Amino acid sequence: MIRGMTAPAALLALALCAAPAATQQQFDKAVKDVNQKMVKIYGLGGFRGLPAYGTGMAISADGYILTVSGYLIESPKDLRVHLADGRRFDKIKVVAVEPELDAALLKVEDLKDEIPFFDLKESAKRPAGQPGDWVLAFSNQFEIATRNEPMTVQRGSVASVSRLRARKGITEAPYNGEVYVVDAITNNPGAGGGALTTRKGELIGMVGKELRNTLTDTWTNYALPLNAKIEVIPDAEKPDVKATVSLLDFIDKGIKGTYKTVARVRPEGGTGGYHGIILVTNPEGVDRAPPYIEEVRSGSPGAKVGLKSDDLIVYVNGELVSSVKTFKDIISKTKPTDEITLEVKRGDKLRQVTVKLEDHPKVAKVPAPK
Amino acid sequence: MSRSDASAPSALNRRQFLGAAGATLVGGLAVSGQELDKRVVDAEKKRIATVELVKPSVVAIFEKGGAGGGSGVLISDDGYALTNFHVTGKKTGMKCGLPDGVLYDAVLVGLDKVGDVALIKLLPPKDGFKFPFAKLGDSEKVKAGDWSLAMGNPFLLATDFTPTVTFGLVSGVHRYQPPEGGGLLEYTDCIQIDTSINPGNSGGPLFNMDGELIGINGRGSFDKRSRINSGVGYAISINQIKNFMGQLKAGIDTDHATLGASVDNDKDDDVGVRLVVRAVLDDPPCDIYRRGLRSGDELFAFGGRVMENVNQFKNVLGIYPKGWRVPLVYRQKNDKTETLARLMGSRERVFEFDDMGKPKKPDGAVTLEPAQGAPAKFYEAKAGYANYFFNRQMRDQLLAGFKKQGDFSKLTGEWSFEADVTTDRKKTEARVVLREEKTDNGKPGNTVVSMTFDGLDYKLEPLKEGQKVRELTQPTGSGGLLMALHHYRSLLTRGEAGFDKNHFNHGGIEPLYAPPAVGPMPTTKLESLRTDCEVLLTELADVQGRWYFSPKDHTLVGAEVTIERDDDPCELYFYDYKPVAGAGSLPHKIEIRSGNGRFATFVIKSYKIG
Repeated sequence: MIRGMTAPAALLALALCAAPAATQQQFDKAVKDVNQKMVKIYGLGGFRGLPAYGTGMAISADGYILTVSGYLIESPKDLRVHLADGRRFDKIKVVAVEPELDAALLKVEDLKDEIPFFDLKESAKRPAGQPGDWVLAFSNQFEIATRNEPMTVQRGSVASVSRLRARKGITEAPYNGEVYVVDAITNNPGAGGGALTTRKGELIGMVGKELRNTLTDTWTNYALPLNAKIEVIPDAEKPDVKATVSLLDFIDKGIKGTYKTVARVRPEGGTGGYHGIILVTNPEGVDRAPPYIEEVRSGSPGAKVGLKSDDLIVYVNGELVSSVKTFKDIISKTKPTDEITLEVKRGDKLRQVTVKLEDHPKVAKVPAPK
Repeated sequence: MSRSDASAPSALNRRQFLGAAGATLVGGLAVSGQELDKRVVDAEKKRIATVELVKPSVVAIFEKGGAGGGSGVLISDDGYALTNFHVTGKKTGMKCGLPDGVLYDAVLVGLDKVGDVALIKLLPPKDGFKFPFAKLGDSEKVKAGDWSLAMGNPFLLATDFTPTVTFGLVSGVHRYQPPEGGGLLEYTDCIQIDTSINPGNSGGPLFNMDGELIGINGRGSFDKRSRINSGVGYAISINQIKNFMGQLKAGIDTDHATLGASVDNDKDDDVGVRLVVRAVLDDPPCDIYRRGLRSGDELFAFGGRVMENVNQFKNVLGIYPKGWRVPLVYRQKNDKTETLARLMGSRERVFEFDDMGKPKKPDGAVTLEPAQGAPAKFYEAKAGYANYFFNRQMRDQLLAGFKKQGDFSKLTGEWSFEADVTTDRKKTEARVVLREEKTDNGKPGNTVVSMTFDGLDYKLEPLKEGQKVRELTQPTGSGGLLMALHHYRSLLTRGEAGFDKNHFNHGGIEPLYAPPAVGPMPTTKLESLRTDCEVLLTELADVQGRWYFSPKDHTLVGAEVTIERDDDPCELYFYDYKPVAGAGSLPHKIEIRSGNGRFATFVIKSYKIG
C-alpha cells in the first residue's frame, strides 16, 4: 500500500522538476555548439573611432569565413583571424565581397586541419524565422572575448521580417532587402558577421552592422536571413535585364572563384531631388563635417551651374548650412523640378547659384571593392 | 570619484520613461484567452516564486537628500549587504530602503575599490531584529546561456523600495573588463548578461533561477549609445567577492594584486595556444621571481585554471586580494614546476612619477567622509581602512578566541625548549632560549634569543639597532627563525603591547598551505593543502608578522615573519598542540620553511616557561 502511494508521488515530483527545465530552456548546449564555429576577425580600424575587430562564421571545414563587408576587411594584409580554439592566423584572403548584400567571404590560408563549420546549404533548407520566434545572437561585440574565449550570446525574438531601411552616418545602407528585426540589442560595435540562430543553435541569419533606422533615427538590431537576395543588373549597358543574386549564390560562386561584384538598380544620393553634388565625407559618415564639394557629376544640375570640387556650401535657400547632415536634411525635403539657391565659397569669394533639381539617374555602377 | 557606471545621478523626471520598461515584464504574464502550454505556465510560476523569495533581500540605497543612489543586497540576517564602491563612493553612512517599506540607517564596513565592491551593514532597529537575506550561490557553476534575474533600483524608481526585476540570459562568464577610472573599477572574471541593467541598478543582485546570489551588477558596455542598457551588462562574480569577504568584514580598504610578471600569447601559435612569460620584476626581485619564474617560461595554470589567453590570466589575478598565495604551474625548458605565488598589492606599488620626479598619487586615494547621525557610533576612521570599527571588533573577537587556547600573559620570564630536529639532509638536535638580558648599563628589557642548532650557537638581539639583514635572518636558510620565535613569544606574552602602535590589526582571511602533518610537502596539487585562516597582521621595528588562525577555534596554525620586504619570510607551521605549564597549549611540532624549501622540522621534547 505504501509502495503504491510512493511511486506516483515520486513520478509527479520528477515531472514537476522536469517541466520548468524544459521551458526555461538551458541554452548551454546550443551555446557550446555554435561557439565552435565562430571566429574573431581583426583588421583595419582604430582610427575614425571605428572598431578594429569583428565577427565571422566558419562555413567550410577548410576555412572559408562569412562576415559583413566594410572597412575591416579593406586591407587583407592587416587581417587576422582567431579561430574558436584560440589559434591565430595572419594569412587571410579576401575571396569575394558584395556590399549590396553586405557580405564578405574570407579564407583562412595555411589551415592544415578541418574546423567545425556551419553548413549553410543545410541551414537554408530549414524554415525561415518567423516573428515571435526565439533567437540567439552570437558575436564578439565590444571585443569582449579574445582568443579562445567564447562569444557573447544574447537572447531575443524575431520582432518582424521586413525590409531594411537604414543608414550608417549619412550613407544609406546598400542592402535594403528583407531582414530579421530582433528585439534584443544585438548590433553593437563588432557584432557584424555574428550568428543568429534558433534556440537550438541552428543558424538562420548573419547579424548585421550598427545602423540607424532611417525612419525613426534609432539604432536598429537586425540580421541578414540566409535566404537574403538582391536584384541586380549584370550588364550596366542593359539596365532592363535583371537577375537575382542570393547570399547562397554569392558564397557558392565565391568559393568557386567565379563571383563578380554586381551593379544594381539604386537611386543615387538618397531622397529628395537630384543635384549631382558629392560632398566630402568619411566613408563611415562623419555627418558633422563641413559641406565641402568633393566632386560634381558631369552633366548634373550642379555641373550645369558651374559648381566645382573644393567649393564650400554656406547657404541653401538662405539657410546657413554648417554640416553635411544639414545639407542632406534640406535636400531630402525637396523633389525633382524644385529650384534651390546655393551660396558657395570658392577661395575668398561667395557666389550664388540656382540649381534646378532633376530626377535621379536610374543606373549607377557600384565600384568593385579594392 | 567615478559615477560613470550604472548609478543614477538623479531620480528627477526619469520615472515615466522607465515605467514603460517595468510594464513589459508584467505584461508577459497577463496572457488571457489563449491556451498556454502547461510547462510555460509552470515555468512562469516558478520564476514568480523565485522573485518573491529573493525580493525582501534587495536594498535600495539612497544618498542623503536623494541626490543619487543605487542598489544592494542583504547577505546575512544581522544586516550585512553588498553593493558597488561606485555607489557608496566617499560616504560612510547611508540610507537603505527595504521592500518592507522601511528606511534603515547603514554604515560602510569594507571596500574593494578596484573590484568595485562595498560591504555595508544595515543597522537593526532593535536587538534581535533579523533581516531577510539572500543565499550566496556558486558563480563558478554559472554558464553562458543560463537564465538570470537582476533586481534593484534602476533610475531610482523604487520610491516605495520595491525593486524592479529584469530577466535575461547570461551572455558570457569569466569575462575581463579593464579598469575604468584610474586603475579602479576593474571587472575581472565577471558575468556578462543581456539582462537589462540601467543607471541605479549598480550594486544590486544578480540571481540564478534558484534565487541564489551569483553576482553584483555594476557595469555595461556602452560605446556611442547613451549610458542605458545596451544588451551588454556585467556583474561581479560572487565567488570573487567571497575571496574578499574576510577583508571586507574586517573593515579593510582592500587591494587587488599583481604577480610581478607580464604574460602574452606566443606569437607563433597557429598550432596551439600558449601563454608565455614576457617579463618578471627582478629589481627588487618579486616573490614569483624568487620562486623561480623567468621570462620565456610557459605559464600552464594559475589559481587552478588552465592558462591560454591574457584575459584568463588577468581574471585570476583579479579575484584574489593582495597578499594571498596562489598555486601557479609553469614550464622552464623541460621542467614543469608547481609553486605558490605570493601576490603583491596593485595599489601600493607606484610605477609612475610626475614631472617633478615625485611618485604619482596612488590610485584609489579617495577621502572618505565621516558618518553622521546613527551610523557614527559604528564608524572609526583610520588610514588603510574603510571602517576601523569593524577591524577592531573582528580583531578582539579573534584574540579572545586565541586566548582560550592559552593565556601566557603572566609568563614573561625565560622561555626555553629542546627539540629533535629533522632537516632534508640529517637528523639533529636544537635548544632554544628566549629571555630578557640586562644591558651593559644594567637596564633590563633587552631580549636575547639564543639557539644551539646542530652543534652551532646562534644569538640574536632582535631590537638592537644597526644590524644587517644577514644577522637578523639567521640561521641562514631559515628566513629568520630567531626573529620569528621572538615575535611568537611576544604575541603570546604581551599581545598588542608587544608590537608597534597601530600595527596590530585584523588582516581578514587568507589561505594557508600548511605542509601535511605526516610526510613531505607535495610538489603538485598544492591547492589540496589550503585552509582559509583568519589573519592577524603585526609589525615591530619594520619586521612584519602574519599570524594564521584556524577560523574554527582560533588555534594558531601558522605564521610568516618578514624581515626584509623583498626577501622570503620565515614560515612557521604549528602542529601537535599539548598543554604546557598549566597556562595553555603550545605546539610540539613546528615546521620551519623559507623560500622554496624546508629549513627544518622541530619536534619539541620539552618547554620550560617562566
